Amino acid sequence: MAESTIRRATPLLALRHLALVVVSFVMLVPFYWVLKTAITNENIYAYPPGILPREPHLYNFVDVWYLIPFPRYLANSIIVSTIAVIGNVVFNALAGYALTRDFPGRRAVLALFLSCMLIPFQAAIIPAYLVTAKMGLLNTYFGLAFPLLSTIVCIFVFKAAFEAVPRSLIDAARIDGLSEWRIIVRVLLPLSKPAIATNVILSFIWSWNNFLWPLLITRDPLMQTLPLGLARFLSYMEDTTGALYAFAVMVLLPSILVFLMAQKEFIRGLTSGATKG
Amino acid sequence: MTTVAGAGAAIPAGHPRAGWWGTQRNRQLALIACFLLPSLVVFVLYRVLPLGWNVVLSFQAWSPLKPAQWIGLENYVEMWSYDDVFWVALRNTLIFIAASPLAIAAALGIALLVNSDLKGATVYRTIVFLSYPLMAVAVGIIWRWMYDERGGIINYALRASGLVDRPIGFLQDFDWALPSVIFAEIWQVLGFYMIILLTGLQSIPQNLYEAARIDGAPAWARFFRITVPMLRPSLFLCIVVGILNSFSSFDLVYIMTNGGPGHATELLITHIYKSAFVETKFDYAAALTVVQFSLLVVLTIAANRAAGGNAGAVERD
Amino acid sequence: MVTRRTLLKTAAAAAATSVFPTPAIGQASKKITFLTWNIIDQKELIEGWIKRFQAARPGVEVEWLDKKGPDFGPFYQTQLTAGTPPDVINTQGALGLEYAAQGALLDLTPLLAREAAIKSRFDANYLGNWIYEGHNYMLPFYITKTLLFYNKPMFAKAGLTGPPTSFDEILSHAQKMTSGEASTGFMTLNFDWLYWPLFAMNGVQLVTPDLKKTAFNTPKAVEVLDKLAKATQANAINKISWTGRWVEPNGAFGAGNVGMLHAHSPAYFFFKGQGSWVTPETLGVAHMPGFYATPNSHGLGISKGSKNPELAWDFLKFVTDNGQAGELAERRKLVTGNIAVDKASLAKLEKEDPTVYAVLKTQLEHTDKMTGNWRFGNDSRVKEAFWPEVQSALLGRKDAKSALADAERRMSRELARA
Repeated sequence: MAESTIRRATPLLALRHLALVVVSFVMLVPFYWVLKTAITNENIYAYPPGILPREPHLYNFVDVWYLIPFPRYLANSIIVSTIAVIGNVVFNALAGYALTRDFPGRRAVLALFLSCMLIPFQAAIIPAYLVTAKMGLLNTYFGLAFPLLSTIVCIFVFKAAFEAVPRSLIDAARIDGLSEWRIIVRVLLPLSKPAIATNVILSFIWSWNNFLWPLLITRDPLMQTLPLGLARFLSYMEDTTGALYAFAVMVLLPSILVFLMAQKEFIRGLTSGATKG
Repeated sequence: MTTVAGAGAAIPAGHPRAGWWGTQRNRQLALIACFLLPSLVVFVLYRVLPLGWNVVLSFQAWSPLKPAQWIGLENYVEMWSYDDVFWVALRNTLIFIAASPLAIAAALGIALLVNSDLKGATVYRTIVFLSYPLMAVAVGIIWRWMYDERGGIINYALRASGLVDRPIGFLQDFDWALPSVIFAEIWQVLGFYMIILLTGLQSIPQNLYEAARIDGAPAWARFFRITVPMLRPSLFLCIVVGILNSFSSFDLVYIMTNGGPGHATELLITHIYKSAFVETKFDYAAALTVVQFSLLVVLTIAANRAAGGNAGAVERD
Repeated sequence: MVTRRTLLKTAAAAAATSVFPTPAIGQASKKITFLTWNIIDQKELIEGWIKRFQAARPGVEVEWLDKKGPDFGPFYQTQLTAGTPPDVINTQGALGLEYAAQGALLDLTPLLAREAAIKSRFDANYLGNWIYEGHNYMLPFYITKTLLFYNKPMFAKAGLTGPPTSFDEILSHAQKMTSGEASTGFMTLNFDWLYWPLFAMNGVQLVTPDLKKTAFNTPKAVEVLDKLAKATQANAINKISWTGRWVEPNGAFGAGNVGMLHAHSPAYFFFKGQGSWVTPETLGVAHMPGFYATPNSHGLGISKGSKNPELAWDFLKFVTDNGQAGELAERRKLVTGNIAVDKASLAKLEKEDPTVYAVLKTQLEHTDKMTGNWRFGNDSRVKEAFWPEVQSALLGRKDAKSALADAERRMSRELARA
């Protein structure tokens, strides 16, 4: 039995690696192109396109640091994203749990949440601005984070994760007299680490990359977030040269860092020998 | 789903804890309401109210600084009878949405491949996810350049390998433009589907697979009888995200093609945006928003039904 | 229980402190906001102006905001709806007219009538670009219009002696310089009606002089459109002319294998940076046949909702004054519409940089032949009705006749609603 599995495993393993390598290639080629352009200044419309970077330099990245108040914008982004991530993890977990319980009007609330997802921000710009102005939150960190304090996709991620916890565990806890809050914190959340990780990753990305909202509600140049600040720094013409790509890379890096830190939670299923094929 | 033992037990009148708060059930309901409240506040302020604003506005003639006039269904009539762009945008949006199952299937395949003790799974996972945190504006610009006829890598590769003689104007050709845009969008969103599905895969109890293997079920049976049904909530989520990508990928489409050439890549969301902020037809844009919203709600309800209701929740234990 | 309470308390405290804006904005007795269109590269210059302006007027504060083109619309419309429009705004192209039609801008006619000296500062034709329904709404900030750049070595190689002098010559010159995909003869920008001189030089009118009816659906226009479409198919006119925005056409010309580029003056600075082939000897500068050109200028206006219109007008006069306009002209190498300033800066450039001089000279010549600049209050809607149809024909998707017929149908609807 053991031998046959090993013999069958090797070609299958090689095949899996091959598939993943092909996928990785497709995913990475655009990145290579971005990086290559970020470190050169060549005309990107020349034919034939150069595969290797000519005269690479790092000036594009250095320029950015000096031409805009980079540390300030970075700090702004970090603050806003931190507020958003904390808000998301807390609010979404609570809402996700509530949706697993049976209560009158549950289907209506579910329908409400699902339909809220379907409202594009572009259609909400003016009312969102007016509401935020009414609350006196224009040009503030909280105002920047408010629309992103909770997201429906992440609520459903928690809901699905909580529903996957065996009911016996929850019932046992309830019989032991734990309050609802304790059940969430002590029983459900520890078993839903991947869901927490997903919440952290997604809410960080969405708040970090948010461009349109900060554009509309920040007046004070020093309140700008990093993507906004970097975009303003770019050459005054619509620009596809190295500076733009340096910008894209710099905005991208923190999200990747967060992903790398949080994704170890996805490894949980490894030791239990997950799906084969 | 879960009911509580002794929920209905009432406390005798006169007792200090009598009244509505007396029953455990009511206290539970109050708690559930509290749990839902923070998220509801955010959504009511930033989604529901704006939707209401759009609905009201769609029946009016208005632009900033002018008083609003009630014009009934005029905006909708305009949309139905006179606006060719609306119909093109509608068609393109539906095509866009129809492409998402392909992306989800691909993401599922990748998720399965990396959700294992494969060496370097972390690396593969990171590589696939790398594109998602890129700002949509950057993705649009990158791909617009990659598709370029002269300096673009794709045409260069095609011609260097001899597959084509003349460069293909991916974003200039009326037939190639939409698929090209969709491909770029899938490239970006693949990582997102992947982590949703990974999260779902993590929650499938392993003993189910063990039991199936002992029973002699082959791999494909294990996949279709265990994995897919248990992934229902995650798949449902991915489908809904696929539906709403038809507007959340606005920046990408707007930067890549601005709806062009002609209106070959015009989506409902680009039409809405242009009507509002380029043509200053906020009232018409509101009507378009209402129509798009209604369409997406119908699709989501259908998806929910197909997933078995309750956002695809699976009966456990 | 204790942990929950303290958690909530700290959360509330954190939320409360983050509500207050940091840093606190000072209280000034009079404050105006100056919103510019994509001129952040001149940060030093404008901040210098503001300092000078504020120094001469104690108690006055000027807040400067700059937005890139696509961000400008949403920002301004939102501010307008919220009742806090920026006092002085700088817009590009016909947007100023649209805002005027919307009722967002202050009528400057009485102000100009009172101060004739201000009015006479400016080139009358360019000033007239922002007259809507007989009223002035904006002053020129900096002005541009289209011209023809050409690649002299490519011309020489194709045996062409000079720039084209007629529409048909444009097409034939272009054809001579086309060679497969390696090189192409002609390219143009297409946004904001910049391509219109191609039609104007054939006598095609877009609309009747009263702007109420379409006038372009003529056999001549069909012929012109058809010729352009055929040239595009033969690659004599590169497709990017009709599908590109700014970077692609200019980048392609900078790459050195495009014979002619029809663009407005800022293009020079862009493709010069991209193309090492651009030298005074190799770059040709000319007017289009018939001297037709589409202007794409930047104007300065005052929002009607401004709380300090007098101060805003003061600022407007200050910015377009010889001192400030002169600095802008020198830093950005452009033409400002201020007659005295332009005269002086061109005289200087003639000696210092002959190529830039040649480019900028064209901006002030033949300003009576400016076209593509109808004073539409609904310019964007008219464009959206017209351009996609024409673009479809140019790219060979539709035949010229039905494209123009469809465009006529759609534009008539928009014009009727204006």
